[in-house]
Amino acid sequence: MGTQTPQQSKSHAPKDSILFEKVVPVALIVMGVLTVLLILFAAAVLLGFIHF
Amino acid sequence: MSVNQLLPFISTAIMLGFTVWVLQRYAVRRAPPFLFWGIGLAMFASGSFAEAYLSLAWNQWVFFVWYLFGAALNAAWIGHGTLNLLFRRPWVTVVTAVLVIGSLFAGYLMLKAMPTLNTSVFTTSKPVSEQYGTKVVPPGETAPAGTQTATVTYRGQEVTVIPGLLPLGSPVRLMTPFFNIYGLITLVGGAIWSAYLFWRKRVLPNRVIGNVLIAAGALSIGSASALTRFGYGELLYLGELLAAILMFAGFRLAARPQPQEAAQPAVASAD
Repeated sequence: MGTQTPQQSKSHAPKDSILFEKVVPVALIVMGVLTVLLILFAAAVLLGFIHF
Repeated sequence: MSVNQLLPFISTAIMLGFTVWVLQRYAVRRAPPFLFWGIGLAMFASGSFAEAYLSLAWNQWVFFVWYLFGAALNAAWIGHGTLNLLFRRPWVTVVTAVLVIGSLFAGYLMLKAMPTLNTSVFTTSKPVSEQYGTKVVPPGETAPAGTQTATVTYRGQEVTVIPGLLPLGSPVRLMTPFFNIYGLITLVGGAIWSAYLFWRKRVLPNRVIGNVLIAAGALSIGSASALTRFGYGELLYLGELLAAILMFAGFRLAARPQPQEAAQPAVASAD
């Protein structure tokens, strides 16, 4: 029996999983875009382009 | 009591449990990220409770807590916990000092704003987040029907405003976006980045999903808060509840021990 490497000791994402292959990357991209939009919104408020 | 008035009380209870859970982990591990998360979450919980209280009655010190901790500081402190986890470098200590001094200064500015509060506009029929700011009616535009307006002098010019609790140009309001932008970048950006790193390596799926939930929770409150500014204030309490549930679930999932896994941080380290 071989010695277990640190990489082998970690659990892995299941192969051919729709959640990990499709849902997670799409969610990360959508959330990244939403984050940028919210930052731009906050910056616009800060700079006085949007009045509240 | 309506469902919308009940929601912030439920959010408060969840956030209190979340805060205790995180601070217990700090007591055991003495890791700074847990301390910053715990402080930020305690601010979130107190802000949520203040919001619930202000949906039933007015109290100026409850408003103080709501604005300072709920609207201004909590995201920055939670996000700073994530920054401490991602980057263990000397410059993070400088950022910590800036955050502490900035938070104390915001508290001072809020104290200075307290005697200027226009409490005559307060009503329990609307979320406090729809009432705190004095809004300028741009020249050529009219205020929505039935809205009370006033003319005030601001920076040497007469402007028409929809009066809010805090007067136009309150310095504490000018500081708030800095904290919220910092909180958004570090909390949401940190969670997305961590999820991406684990996802790319195809390891620790619990931390991938956990960080996705944390980011989604933080974005739900951020989006609901932004929508409030566009007149959709009824979504705020739901957004807060979603944030509390998703972030708590995300933290717990990300921190779940894995088989044969050595103790590791809940988000990826960039070091």
